[in-house]
Amino acid sequence: MGDSSKQIREAARKLFEENKVDLIIGFEDGSLPLRATPCFIRRGEDAERLVWNSFCENNLATYLPKKKGKTGIVAKGCDSRSIVGFLKEKQIERENLVIIGVPCEGMIDRKAVEERLGEREILSVEEGPEEIVVKGTDYEEKMKKEDLLPESCRICTHRNPVLYDVLIGEALEEQKVADPFELIREFEGRTAEERWAYFCGETEKCIRCYACRNACPICYCEACYVDSSEPQWFGKSIESTDTMIFHIVRAFHTTGRCVDCGACIRACPMDVDLRFLNKKIEKDVLELFSFEAGEDPDEPPPLTTYKQDDPEEFIK
Amino acid sequence: MEMHEALQASWEPKIVAFLCNWCSYAGADLAGVGRIQYPPNTRTIRVPCSGRVNPLFILRALQNGADGVLVSGCHPGDCHYLSGNYAARRRFAVFSRLLEYVGIEKGRLHFSWVSAAEAGRFAEVITEVTEEVRKLGPAKRLVKKKVE
Amino acid sequence: MEEKTIRKDNLMSLLADLTGSCQVLAPVRKGNSIVFEEILTGDEIHLSEYNTRKSVKEVFFPQRERLFAYRGQETREPSPPDKERIVFGVRPCDARSLSLLDFVFDGEDFKDPYYCSKRDNTTVIAIGCSRPMRTCFCTDTGGDPFSLEGADVLLIDMGETYFVLPVTQRGEGFLQGKSGFERAEQDQIQRKEEIIEKARESVGSDLNIERIKSVLDSDFDNPLWETVHEKCLGCGVCTFLCPTCHCFDILDEGDSNQGERIRIWDSCMFPLFTLHASGTNPRPGGKERMRQRILHKFKYFVDNHNRVACTGCGRCIRACPVNLDIREVLEDIQNPE
Repeated sequence: MGDSSKQIREAARKLFEENKVDLIIGFEDGSLPLRATPCFIRRGEDAERLVWNSFCENNLATYLPKKKGKTGIVAKGCDSRSIVGFLKEKQIERENLVIIGVPCEGMIDRKAVEERLGEREILSVEEGPEEIVVKGTDYEEKMKKEDLLPESCRICTHRNPVLYDVLIGEALEEQKVADPFELIREFEGRTAEERWAYFCGETEKCIRCYACRNACPICYCEACYVDSSEPQWFGKSIESTDTMIFHIVRAFHTTGRCVDCGACIRACPMDVDLRFLNKKIEKDVLELFSFEAGEDPDEPPPLTTYKQDDPEEFIK
Repeated sequence: MEMHEALQASWEPKIVAFLCNWCSYAGADLAGVGRIQYPPNTRTIRVPCSGRVNPLFILRALQNGADGVLVSGCHPGDCHYLSGNYAARRRFAVFSRLLEYVGIEKGRLHFSWVSAAEAGRFAEVITEVTEEVRKLGPAKRLVKKKVE
Repeated sequence: MEEKTIRKDNLMSLLADLTGSCQVLAPVRKGNSIVFEEILTGDEIHLSEYNTRKSVKEVFFPQRERLFAYRGQETREPSPPDKERIVFGVRPCDARSLSLLDFVFDGEDFKDPYYCSKRDNTTVIAIGCSRPMRTCFCTDTGGDPFSLEGADVLLIDMGETYFVLPVTQRGEGFLQGKSGFERAEQDQIQRKEEIIEKARESVGSDLNIERIKSVLDSDFDNPLWETVHEKCLGCGVCTFLCPTCHCFDILDEGDSNQGERIRIWDSCMFPLFTLHASGTNPRPGGKERMRQRILHKFKYFVDNHNRVACTGCGRCIRACPVNLDIREVLEDIQNPE
């Protein structure tokens, strides 16, 4: 990891020296333990700030739409797939991007660490190759990084960036995941009442802060359906049916576009399970249309095309 | 209170049907011309094409108390706008699965292809849909409470 | 007012008994969050090192509140609260925020009836912060881990007992006639002082915002605003979890037959904030909105009420999805490189 930081800094410095970028978006150390934070540098001297570690959880691609000039970006596998999505939807020009791709073994789920500690404050964290050491005022605990991965990292089959101009370090061996939709299938197997109860329970927690929407790279609409007033599709308050519609539609709007980067679920301050909706759509898109988001920038988005023999068993 | 109870006892399903102008709506019209009887529970909304139907329309109908929703369009290959119904087919394949997944009962949301000549077929579809929705009872999920 | 003590188990029984005649709200564990909710038995109460996820403002200024309803030609306003309320387990930073919100909703020129009726019938029982968190900076915003502001009663955790400081008449009234409260002994008073001293020292923040107002007064076009907002996603997490943020929107929901006018939380971070009907927006982007947030809290509120509209609770710092740290922003504004 330390070596990756060095390599990223060198790559960044070189890009500024060769005048290939006006801006590089990367990560720097956060102000809290377990955090790295997005940073925007415009000079070679600032490359020193760039870091790479298991706290680089944000999907930086979310900052790309509407960036002017030439932009360099530090991208993990999932981030690079979001970039493919942007290319597909013509939100950025490939020539204006320099992708510093970083193979990723997964980002630590802060909530998992907090859960393990009960409610003891974390004062410092040291990261090693396999473990982290978490310290508080009266405790010190070691935890294995592989036990702290969120679901989206645990089942990730795109640890290497699918698109890059510079690759940091060596490519990783991709994981073989028997069934990335295991949890979805389990949920599908429940009764409608159970599923409805779960959906109600999750959306009840929602405070309509839109952190999920704003953290998501593929939610880049300047005029979001939420703010529509002519017509106003549904209410803006935390009333339960309004909140449910918000989540159903946002998930639906990510059809064929969500790459399961996990940014939404990490951003949510109330621990709403957002992935259970997005992942379901990802599964259906694969089954119905044999389509995977974030792979091929030239493949048209699934809802913009059709086949003569598309599934229609649900139509009378 | 009495009115409320009376309404409950004699509940009839309220179904919102989005019918594409060129095929399904024409088919419905033909059924009317032919005096074909079918349950009167449907409120029809004419749209130019099944591809015009936004999932938000369906959700709004459900939120406002529709017990069932039908979206009906031209048969694949016959769309007046060439490919609108193909887009609808893909869109609603995903959307119908999503709604069922979150727990909205399977029989609330329906889709059909009914052509302008298929008056009888239209009546059949409406009858089927009405009966399925009737079996499910009044919609309770996703219905926004009205002010008492 | 006389200082007292009460055994913790006695206080818990007292609160449980009070649920019969009052609405008692306290921190309750819900999944991974701790939030203020009505308790019924007292077993639900969950006190911890961590502050509640959402602040106490929603007890007085709910996220969704009906202003009135209509049906046909009739309108109906919400009935005033019928039960007295007690909110227990409020940290001093949150209790202080109530006195700041009072400037807005219970001011000299205007009193918001919805807020005031709740404020007037609620007893705030605060618990002093014996273990401030690293993200706490209450002392920099004019507060203190044992501040009395906004509280009716302040409790100090002494292990098996709470030290009880009545702060207001209302607080004094709360203690009247209730069993379990004993006069504080001299050694307990001594211990209390020690605990307070230790906690004050442990607020680790070295942020100094003495110059922030003068800097903000003079430099609206500071080039720093261009970069300070860049990583901000523009979501509403900071504003919604913040105990002093109070922007709201008023909406009508319903149709020609029935409906209601409601008030909901709004956020200066949202794109519709200050969007004019003409389509222009004086704060079109993240830069203007971030500047507005900082100015509101650290200049405009000071201009209007002589107080900083921030209590240093640290929720925004912990919850921000991109770790945008308001302390860093304040540092950078005051001390540009």
